[in-house]
Amino acid sequence: MTAIALDQTATQDRSRSLGQRILAVVRLHFVNPTAILWLPLMILGIIFGANWILWWLIHEFSGGKDLTEGTQWSGASAFIFVYMMVVAIQAMHLTFQYALGMGATRRDYYLGSALTFVLLGAGWAALIGTLGVLEELTGGWGLNGRMFTSVYFGADGAAVRYWYVFLLFLLFLFLGALSGALFVRWKALGVTALWVGLGLLLVAGLAVVIMTNAWGAIGGFLGTIGTGGAYALTLVGSALAGIGGFLVLRRATPRA
Amino acid sequence: MSPVIEVEHLTKRFGGLTAVDDVSLRLDGGRIIGLLGRNGAGKTTLMSLLTGQEFATEGRIRVFGDSPVEHAQTLSRISFIRESQRYPDSFKAKHVLASAPWFFGGWDEAYARELVSDFRLPLDRPVKKLSRGQLSAVGVIIGLASRAPLTFFDEPYLGLDAVARQLFYDRLLADVAERPRTVVLSTHLIDEVADLLEHVVVIDDGRILVDDEAEALRGSATTVTGTRSAVDAFVAGRTVTHRTGLGGLASATVARLDAESQLAARAAGLELAPVSLQQLVVQLTNSDQEVSA
Repeated sequence: MTAIALDQTATQDRSRSLGQRILAVVRLHFVNPTAILWLPLMILGIIFGANWILWWLIHEFSGGKDLTEGTQWSGASAFIFVYMMVVAIQAMHLTFQYALGMGATRRDYYLGSALTFVLLGAGWAALIGTLGVLEELTGGWGLNGRMFTSVYFGADGAAVRYWYVFLLFLLFLFLGALSGALFVRWKALGVTALWVGLGLLLVAGLAVVIMTNAWGAIGGFLGTIGTGGAYALTLVGSALAGIGGFLVLRRATPRA
Repeated sequence: MSPVIEVEHLTKRFGGLTAVDDVSLRLDGGRIIGLLGRNGAGKTTLMSLLTGQEFATEGRIRVFGDSPVEHAQTLSRISFIRESQRYPDSFKAKHVLASAPWFFGGWDEAYARELVSDFRLPLDRPVKKLSRGQLSAVGVIIGLASRAPLTFFDEPYLGLDAVARQLFYDRLLADVAERPRTVVLSTHLIDEVADLLEHVVVIDDGRILVDDEAEALRGSATTVTGTRSAVDAFVAGRTVTHRTGLGGLASATVARLDAESQLAARAAGLELAPVSLQQLVVQLTNSDQEVSA
């Protein structure tokens, strides 16, 4: 009887392809776009507005001094990268249990989340890159201010800047994915362990460099690979974080 | 005829706690199965294992013939909204109902809308602000409208008022009759659902106490009531699972009585009453029970 009954229910049993299952997770992340889209956009707008007012104040009260030199070191846009990392952590924390309840496998969920983050990175790169172009066209928003063309994004031209910004977003988003996976599996303890671990690695790396007096070699290496090479190197970090996040999430279970 | 759920020597330990203890089950589909037991008996853990949300410590699970763990094909045929299901903090009820169809191939949108109106679920309210009953309604609506070949309801009535509970039972029965599928109903409010159940599994302290047809269980015990001396005389030599007394009156629960015994009991002036499923489960799972011969 069982087998027959199940065959009869076959109509309500349309299984989904891998693509459909991954797309479902992507859509899940965006079903309420407030936290993942509108809020960060709003924050970017506020930061930009505040910066513009500062530039204007300096411009007015310094007697029209050229701001290009000073604001090229602007870290104003750095906030948005860190914020997107937090967005990635939050997105995974919020939807993992729900997606499992909807019958998603951890693998499909992670692939869908990773695709979401790549899409987010691409969208943000398009926005920041375009704002950079506008910044150049408008003479630093009329005030020689610089926020989207700061030195961190290199001096290789607008087109390449899109690519650098995308790579930088990928790195932050996938560090967020790894942190999010650690949070889902081991709560705050997991995330803390990751960042303490990364901090220790950094200190150890510095110690090695200082003890072996390798600054020159590193400088030479960075000089050889150039800004483009350095940015391309972040792909290694993004990939490691992405794979690490999957390995962590693969054995995670829903916890209250 | 392969069973929908097959479990062999399944054990799940959380640290020192054994939530599911060497459970073996074979459950055929196409019917409503009651998973009964006290709070903390292991019901939710067992369902989490069957749906691949938890990993077994030991043992083997087959659902629709495959391990449910990370098996998309199997999981897409299962609906399991846990009693403590968490929804994304930013979600309103409408976001849940918008996203659920992306995951369930058999989702019936018209039916879902009907249920939303039946349960008076406020779609624009954040899930965080829903009452316990409204939260239960969300789970019930997903469970019914997903039309999954294997649907788990985990204490689905929490916070629902009497009208909404009746509505759920009516809808469930009607829909399962129309579209046969396997439903596992986990509950400790047994009396309310006793008539819905075709098969009963009782779990206590992580172990399976009962795995039987509901019909067989309903007649499996009888309570005899009368004067203390008459009851004592009648139950002598029988296995008594439960007894109470008040003054000169006493009542005792004994195993199934054949026709001859029933006549003898009536002749001795005793009243006979079938034991409800709920009483049976209470007696089976009450560890302080007094068992006397």
